[in-house]
Amino acid sequence: MLHLYNWNNYISDTTIERFEKQCACRVVQDYYSDNEEMLAKLAAGATGYDLIVPTGNAVEALIRQQALRPLDKRLLPNLKNIDPAYLDTWFDPGNQYSVPYAYTITLIGYNSEKLRGMDLPLDSWAVVFEPRYLEKLKGHVTVLDSQRELLAAALKYLGYSANDDDETHWKQARDLIIRAKPYWAAFNASSYIKELTVGNIWLVHGYSNDIFQADLDAQNAARGFRILASLPKEGAVLALDSMVLHKSGPRPDLAHRFIDFMLDGRNSSELTNLIGSGNPNLAARPFIQPEIAHNTAVFPGRAQQARLEMLRDLDRNRRRVLSRIWTEIKLR
Amino acid sequence: MSERHDKESPSARITRWLVSGPPLLFLLLLVAIPGVIMVFASFRYPGEFGGLAPLVAADPQTLHGLTIETYRFFFGDFIYAEVFIKSFVMALATTLICLVMAYPLALLIARSSKQIRNLMMLLVILPFTSNFLIGIYAWMIILGPQAALNQTINVLLGVFGIAPVQLLFSPVAVMIAMVYVYLPFMVLPLYTNLEKHDPVLLDAAQDLGANAWQRFWRVTFPLSQPGIFAGSALVFIPAIGMFAVPELLGGTGDIMIGNLIKEQFLGTRDWPFGSTLAILLTLAVLLVVWIVARLSARGGRYA
Amino acid sequence: MRRGPWLWTAALAAYAFLYLPLTIVVIYSFNDSRLNAEWVGFTWHWYHDLFHDEDMLIAAGNSLLIASVASLSATLLGTMAGLAIHRYDLKLLNFMVLAPVAMPEILLGVSLLLFFIQVLNLTLGMLSIVLAHITFSIGFVAVIVRAQLTSIDESLFEAARDLGASPWETFRYVTFPLILPAVIAGGLMAFTLSIDDFVVTFFTAGVGVQTLPLRIYSMIKIAVTPEVNAVSTLLMLLTLCMIVLASRFAPDVLKGKT
Repeated sequence: MLHLYNWNNYISDTTIERFEKQCACRVVQDYYSDNEEMLAKLAAGATGYDLIVPTGNAVEALIRQQALRPLDKRLLPNLKNIDPAYLDTWFDPGNQYSVPYAYTITLIGYNSEKLRGMDLPLDSWAVVFEPRYLEKLKGHVTVLDSQRELLAAALKYLGYSANDDDETHWKQARDLIIRAKPYWAAFNASSYIKELTVGNIWLVHGYSNDIFQADLDAQNAARGFRILASLPKEGAVLALDSMVLHKSGPRPDLAHRFIDFMLDGRNSSELTNLIGSGNPNLAARPFIQPEIAHNTAVFPGRAQQARLEMLRDLDRNRRRVLSRIWTEIKLR
Repeated sequence: MSERHDKESPSARITRWLVSGPPLLFLLLLVAIPGVIMVFASFRYPGEFGGLAPLVAADPQTLHGLTIETYRFFFGDFIYAEVFIKSFVMALATTLICLVMAYPLALLIARSSKQIRNLMMLLVILPFTSNFLIGIYAWMIILGPQAALNQTINVLLGVFGIAPVQLLFSPVAVMIAMVYVYLPFMVLPLYTNLEKHDPVLLDAAQDLGANAWQRFWRVTFPLSQPGIFAGSALVFIPAIGMFAVPELLGGTGDIMIGNLIKEQFLGTRDWPFGSTLAILLTLAVLLVVWIVARLSARGGRYA
Repeated sequence: MRRGPWLWTAALAAYAFLYLPLTIVVIYSFNDSRLNAEWVGFTWHWYHDLFHDEDMLIAAGNSLLIASVASLSATLLGTMAGLAIHRYDLKLLNFMVLAPVAMPEILLGVSLLLFFIQVLNLTLGMLSIVLAHITFSIGFVAVIVRAQLTSIDESLFEAARDLGASPWETFRYVTFPLILPAVIAGGLMAFTLSIDDFVVTFFTAGVGVQTLPLRIYSMIKIAVTPEVNAVSTLLMLLTLCMIVLASRFAPDVLKGKT
């Protein structure tokens, strides 16, 4: 039995079934919807997971906590399939502990019909933060209910790094957010997909795969509009999710087999075809539906890739300061 | 009672401990000790990755020991006090609206015939015992932008040239759901009180020429004060710790103490500060209980 | 009978306020549309989905197991507490029994979270949830049992003693049969509270164990399908049966809560 602690809806059922048949074992999944939630639950003593799929900053935190088991690369021949651009990252130099699984980009999603003719700069975070544009969208915009993501977008718009931890810059970002807040309908990290699909919400700060999902749903329901994604020119957050082995897991052997299985091009492509996530696996490209493969919000070009940043983990003092700023944002 | 204590035989003493011991032990372990732990935790440093930093550390470089930094952080500026005040106001508003809605209902039940009273009370209890998340979900449906209610309101507003409003994800939605969740808590004690009133008093008042309104304000209402206080406490106390309603129905500005506490434990990984918030909430609740107890003791003179 | 029309109107409005939302949830559980917006047609579809949703079935199994164990334990401990408080007038026990019920639930949740992890070093899961549920259920059982004891005429016990009954015989043949309805009602109440609890469970559940309310919470957060309506409807039905049953055993139970 393989215990997998994974993001909600982050693997195709057919892939799981195929692996279960191949290894003659059962895959048991638990889900989380936020890295912070996953880290908090692990800090609260959750154990027994063979495999977790955290984002870079959480991988970094788990490595520093010495909560992970080093990988045995001899068991992972398919590692060669991964695009070198996604290997040897700052959070795990030499990939001692982690293997890239998939990535999402935090960007702008919008309703193709409702925004037609509004003349908005959809290629800039300005459309999320500037009241002069938001005026036309009042009550039809949501932003992510995530302290790190929203701050990062604001910092990017202000021209800083998403990982800038200068408190005066944070305060500038806070003021920017507070100024834009009256025009937003909600902070939302989950139900905005449905709201986009039914046409209540026209513009979101959201994850690339969620926006893909909303578009798919809108097409299936023949809504007469599309949900499009746009990567802002100021840059955005890239979340590279990697497979890691948790120390408490009883079956590292199965976990290695699973990782290598997921590194196979066809298996890896199924996730992308299902949820429109970015795929760091070069061998997966031929299996990916052309419409997704040509979507620059899912597979950005080299120039755009350079403007993407991965978030780093914050230390306890920074976490406390950010939480306080978040409280202020909510209150004002 | 006293007679029993005087000549308590050894076997009676054993019985006494056998009966009271297990529940007392269980509750000391799972209520008292966790409470003490929480007070302690509020004076600790947060662990680097969550949890608490060690109390003693072999390496003096690691953060360890006790501190009052969380309290300093709380009282360092007005932000967190503001969240407390906001929660207080929300809980108070919930209590008052519940009172206004519950009073006629409780009065009607208390004055109905004996046979249907229990049925009517059962109908009040049922929504209380069904999961409150279902209630929240129901209001998400009713207040949603596609729902008839929101659309009707916006059509009416449109007639007067007022811009459309959104009900879901707003303070209004939070208020409605809070009242919905706690209304039965108000009806129960009010009914228990009103049921005990002697109708003879009202007859006497009528004979003395008091009209219906005067009879209510001069007789029924003052007599029902203990019920009002009990109901208010039953609504106010849980309401001030609520986090699910603002989280699921609130807009960009709806945050209560409960949300802050939840965030410290399950988001920011800052257990000491979360504990501090929980301790301060406990103190705030105790203060309110004390005030209500004082008020009802004074009110008792009328009754 | 002084019941003016205004009183009726206000009271009916309150009843409508209480029942309209629940009715809507039930109605839309039979609606043949993914959106809870307009009525499209009747379907059993969502119930069908529900009974083929493995995660949901596991959660339901967990909830039933937790509620059974927690309510049985709480009935035992709560009955003892009720007897002890009535018989020996124990101020401390009385306070301890009411404290977890009287404070905001979130406080019990986080203090137990801290305790389980910092002190017991316990992995959160079934056991931690069951312990937490017993903690808040004891109070309800104790209050109901105690209320019943107060209503019993003391002379019955004296008569038993005069006839030479030992304290155990008095309990076995006089006290226990008299409080049995209250004990059963208290147990049913504890079962209902446990199966419906969200807040305390939320903090003490850890990751591995899902219960029905936790599932409902994550489902309404994402707002997926009317499967939520279906599971809510069934959960309400279960609660309804429990409470109606409890009120059969002890009609005063519901008032005893204050």
